[in-house]
Amino acid sequence: MSIVFLQFLSGTIFLSIIFLHLIKKNFEAVIAYGIQSFAIVVVLMGSFFETNNFPLLLLILVTLIVKVIVAPLFFIKLIQKHELTFSVSSYLNLPLTLIVIASFTAVAHSQKFSSLTNIIPAHFALLSLALSAIFISLFLIVNRKGALSQALGVLSLENSIVAFVFFAGLERSPGLQMGIIFDIFVWILIATVFVSMIYKHFGSLDVTSMKHLKE
Amino acid sequence: MELLLIFGSFFIAAFLCVVLTSRRVIECISIVATVIALVESIIISLKVGSVKTYVPFYFFSIESFEAIVMLIIAFVGLATTIYSVQYLRQETLKNIIGFTRVKQYFILLNLFLLAMFLAISANSPILAWIAIEATTLSTAFLISFYNKPSVTEAAWKYLIINSVGLLLGFFGTLLYFTSVNELSGNSFYALRDAALHLDPLIAKIAFIFILIGYGTKVGLAPMHTWLPDAHSKAPAPVSALLSGVLLNVAFVIVMKFKIITDFALRDASFSNNLLIIFGLLSIFVAALIILTQKNYKRLLAYSSIENMGIISLGFGFGPLGIYPAVLHMIYHSLIKSALFLSAGTIFLKYSSTKIAKVKGMLSSLPITSILFLVGIFAITGAPPFGIFLTKISILSVGIKIHAIVSIVAMFLMAILFIGFLKHASSMAFGEKPSEVTTGSSEFKTGKENIWLILPPLALLALALFLSFYFPRFLLDLLNAVTISYKMRGTI
Repeated sequence: MSIVFLQFLSGTIFLSIIFLHLIKKNFEAVIAYGIQSFAIVVVLMGSFFETNNFPLLLLILVTLIVKVIVAPLFFIKLIQKHELTFSVSSYLNLPLTLIVIASFTAVAHSQKFSSLTNIIPAHFALLSLALSAIFISLFLIVNRKGALSQALGVLSLENSIVAFVFFAGLERSPGLQMGIIFDIFVWILIATVFVSMIYKHFGSLDVTSMKHLKE
Repeated sequence: MELLLIFGSFFIAAFLCVVLTSRRVIECISIVATVIALVESIIISLKVGSVKTYVPFYFFSIESFEAIVMLIIAFVGLATTIYSVQYLRQETLKNIIGFTRVKQYFILLNLFLLAMFLAISANSPILAWIAIEATTLSTAFLISFYNKPSVTEAAWKYLIINSVGLLLGFFGTLLYFTSVNELSGNSFYALRDAALHLDPLIAKIAFIFILIGYGTKVGLAPMHTWLPDAHSKAPAPVSALLSGVLLNVAFVIVMKFKIITDFALRDASFSNNLLIIFGLLSIFVAALIILTQKNYKRLLAYSSIENMGIISLGFGFGPLGIYPAVLHMIYHSLIKSALFLSAGTIFLKYSSTKIAKVKGMLSSLPITSILFLVGIFAITGAPPFGIFLTKISILSVGIKIHAIVSIVAMFLMAILFIGFLKHASSMAFGEKPSEVTTGSSEFKTGKENIWLILPPLALLALALFLSFYFPRFLLDLLNAVTISYKMRGTI
């Protein structure tokens, strides 16, 4: 796969996370996650075309089903069921959020993390962008007040790590990766149930409304 | 074969719990599964004692440290499963839960135990990660068992914080693979063999991610925030397993990566210093909160944070601190599980986890309150329990290397001792409240159920027994842990 195309995919993943920071509608957030996951699937496809490893093809299919089809469908059904059209706001306002994102991106591209971003020197730009994606996904989980946004943040973090791993050539055997996908699938199921439970108990997905544990 | 029997028994038990409709059969099957696990764990430990490394099949291997923790999982697992039967029956009598919930409980309990056995015996870091993540997934619904707003809140916090932590741990894990190619394998051994080729800076970054990631699961401060909520809101037997067992499983995995990091850096000071910092911070956080604590289950949860901090200090102080640290881990697991089980009986009687609402415990629950008080004395390090000796040993090792850290830790432990004593005495003495709990006639009359007493009693008795006498094979395992860390360069 050409480096330019990989950069396009890496950029797609990165931009989808920025989009998750900016948007207010839950539906759009889920679509952004679907696009991000599809970019991951294309990255995996590139790896398959290079290696012709058939277990990897199975992994790609499972990833496609779990992350691109099942997860967004689950979340969309949840949004429709509870009419969760709008997501709740973030702790930081938009300008501050953008400043923090810019800072994390700069840090990921800095010399501090050069040992990570130079694992494959030719992939410096890809690895830097993937590392930025990891940082801003973490920030997404911390900054958003909505339970659904937090769940999408966790899944984005996982996608960013997968992207980094592939760009750094650290991917493991498809068998082990299948185990990871299975965990992610169960995680999505559980997170969906919990989001529903939160809505049932608190009448909102805003995690700041959860104050029962303050003693 | 032994390991396969353990995995198989829990898997089959979980499956049978799904399909069966008889409560008694579900309870029996779950107990039988834990009995099989205990017997097989003892056999495996005996084998490890003689052959040092037990390798049943690809992707799995057990050394001395894993064998010790495996015994802890098995023993505490059996005690909590037996306790769960009666505990859930009492809750059913109080109309808190129905049969569906009981069924769900035993399915998840068996899966949780299976995941812990998988995690401790996995030889591949990726498989270990998958198993640890599985413990999070199986326990999320156990924590939210009572389906109340506060419980949902605690479970969500647990799910999100642990998932983020474990993803960071996963990232750290994969960074270690920069020195290994696919053909070398995916095992901890492969990572250890290739550690000398690992870029020291990457090794440092990877270990930081591991310590933050798996440290979240261990409950080390400042990643501990989920622990008091989850441990206090889960049903008492689940809290016993979370506090007494799961934290140790995650800790063992951190230690496996510590060895690789020490090899890569050709020096243990980096990982040791990090363990000391996180360990001391954990003790500090627990001490800070203990005096003002209002909930006795949260009190026990903070004590777990403290004790994991002490174990981290022990490992951080180097080879001399490892022996008492592993001993401390054993004592803490047994005593803390006993304490959580006793707390469950107190909750059944008083229907509250608030310290202020539990008065006159000695007259209303004489045996349980004695067990609870003995447990409190034991966990805070009062003699003759082994924790007294392990704390003294860890601090005496530390005073030679990091005098200030040891003195601060000693001071914080003293605060924790005072805090615990203050709360325990306020619960044990005083006028018992006039309200009588609903439930079985036994609980109304103040008679205590033997099946709610025996499991914590057995755990405490074992802790006391091990404080004076250690069976030969356990002693061999303990020595093997210390020797292996010395050999592997933990200097």
